[in-house]
Amino acid sequence: MTQLILFNVTNGLIVGAFYVLMAIGLSLILNLSNVINFAHGGFLVIGGYVAYTLEPYLGFWGALIASPFLTAIIGFAVERLLISRVYGRDPLYGLLLTFGLAFVFEDGTRIIWGAQGKPFTIPAFLSQSLSDKFFFITGYRLFMVAMVAVMIALLFLLLRFTRAGMRIRAGTLDLETVAVLGVNARALRSLNFAVGIFLAGLSGVLAGGQLGLEPTMGAGLLMPSFIAIIVGGVGSLVGTLVGGLLIGVASGLTAVMLPPASEAIMYVLMAVVLLVRPRGLFGEEGMLT
Amino acid sequence: MKRPYHAAPLSRRTILKAAAAAGVAQFAAPFVITARAADAVKVGMIDPFTGVYAAVAQNELIGVKFAAEQINAQGGVLGRQIELLVEDSANDVGTGVEKARKLIERDGIQFLIGDVNSAIALAIAQVSNEKKVLHIVSGGHTDGITGKDCHWNVYRVCNTTKMEANSVAELLFNKYGKKWHFITPDYAFGHTLQEAALADLKKFGGTMTGNELTPLGTSDFSAYLIKARAANPDVLLVLPQGSDMVNCLKQIAQFGIEKQIHVAGLQQELESLKAMPPEARVGIWMFEWYWKQPGVPGVDKFVADIRTRSAGKVPTARTWFGYTSLMSFALVANREKTLDGVKLAKALGDFELPADVKLQPNKCYYRKGDHQLMTSAFVGQALKEGKSDPEDLFQVDSIVAGDKTSPPESETGCTLQWPA
Repeated sequence: MTQLILFNVTNGLIVGAFYVLMAIGLSLILNLSNVINFAHGGFLVIGGYVAYTLEPYLGFWGALIASPFLTAIIGFAVERLLISRVYGRDPLYGLLLTFGLAFVFEDGTRIIWGAQGKPFTIPAFLSQSLSDKFFFITGYRLFMVAMVAVMIALLFLLLRFTRAGMRIRAGTLDLETVAVLGVNARALRSLNFAVGIFLAGLSGVLAGGQLGLEPTMGAGLLMPSFIAIIVGGVGSLVGTLVGGLLIGVASGLTAVMLPPASEAIMYVLMAVVLLVRPRGLFGEEGMLT
Repeated sequence: MKRPYHAAPLSRRTILKAAAAAGVAQFAAPFVITARAADAVKVGMIDPFTGVYAAVAQNELIGVKFAAEQINAQGGVLGRQIELLVEDSANDVGTGVEKARKLIERDGIQFLIGDVNSAIALAIAQVSNEKKVLHIVSGGHTDGITGKDCHWNVYRVCNTTKMEANSVAELLFNKYGKKWHFITPDYAFGHTLQEAALADLKKFGGTMTGNELTPLGTSDFSAYLIKARAANPDVLLVLPQGSDMVNCLKQIAQFGIEKQIHVAGLQQELESLKAMPPEARVGIWMFEWYWKQPGVPGVDKFVADIRTRSAGKVPTARTWFGYTSLMSFALVANREKTLDGVKLAKALGDFELPADVKLQPNKCYYRKGDHQLMTSAFVGQALKEGKSDPEDLFQVDSIVAGDKTSPPESETGCTLQWPA
């Protein structure tokens, strides 16, 4: 039993790491643009399918690099053409817009690639267990965790040490003042949105290797990401990181004790956090209220 | 005037509302396909064309459309052309019921086909029953449809979960071993399928090491797989369908579980096998219909005809379900020379499908007592790669007749109440 619990904690961290990657992108956009991006799952699906399309030409590694950039370009265009029009309006406008976009992306994927799921192949050496005892730790899953770690480190460096990153952080706190100081807020938001969508695209490629590619796959992965943000605290990227890992572990442990509740536990966790600490674990008082 | 940057602040409540709405996001808006003609016989079809069952639903539609085309080319039903009205249930019970009412009350359909989702099939069967419209459930498997919830006007083409379990259980037991562990989707279909398999297992004298109930739409199965392997069974039965099954088998292959434990299941579909990478295509399963049946009359022609209508892709069991549903209606209506729901429903009892519709070696007929089609189970093994054709991903070892896999009518729990 102890071993089973240990296994599931480790496994939960791996699963949670994936939620983190998606949630961080979502969180970035939410923090700066005040848009709850419902279409994030749709961008994830696009990332996965674009990689699937590119794989025969570029191989897995080429697709892994190219697809997130292409997805980010699509994201940039969508932000410029559509999302930017709802900035400053009631948040419900952004919600409705991205909600609609999610449907457009899902059906668009179905029209372009078909309703039938697609097999996305990963390199053989990655798709094997590292040891017989720890069979659930495969090369690919470790690779995913490593990618998440690298992305978070890069994001940290970007936000901490680059001019654009500092502006994004400042804008998260008070975009109006930042704009008054001469920063092009529109460009800042577009850049920030593209970075968020880049992470969604990367999540899509990584998910494609682990799961089957399917037009509806984004919707299922979007919910845990939302919960990660709420549990961790809106406005805090560290919170999102902790929130994602936490729901991964909670879900894994519940699967041992009470399997049918392994999904419900995420919502229970969210409810408890909201009752005890409504701002979320790392959320700052007054943020986004 | 320039708008302020944060004119309306985003509250935590808004985010919570958004999260709640995300759950609804999967139920997309409907679309309608119609081919209207004056004085036509209207046939309604409801299937989940959006959502997780979209791929199988679209294949059912290909079959229905092909049947309509054939019927119309041969003079239609009672000399009238068939007009097809297609509605999307969006994999949601409420939407399905609403669409069924719309098709019957507003469009005045004479015959209804659908739904892939068992829960929706059960719900719309109540509507069709209330309105006395002949209804064939093309692809919802849960036992109740032709069991305790049966209706005089409702027939079913696909297998019951009991028939599916009975077709493979003995083979799995004899070939793979007597300790079974289940991964079961946590809803009506999964429960009845698992119960049926467990009943068979107990009958043979085997034991169950565990049953992992997984929520519908689970993407990560690792926690369940860790538990299943720790239980050390002889056989791991994978019962989820669609993308859940693809995800589960993909992870099983990555973990190498299939090298230590026999991985198998009951119902398998070509749509799922095609969506998996080769290494995930393992184990013994049953198909409800398969496109490769050397020497069986009509099959090759059917395959060739469907290929020309679906970008070269072969028909799946779903295509055949759709095709058979509409052909059954047309054949019986033309034989009885009526469109009266009660008369047609009576006439379909014991109706045997002709060779060019049944497309399988065994006798294939609707059973009078429960309205279940006695259709064959194609038992065999998943193939990693298609030998002669990339879509030939299943090796059929035996084709078991429906009346051998189905429990007797007396055990289904069905009592038909005919209108006075």
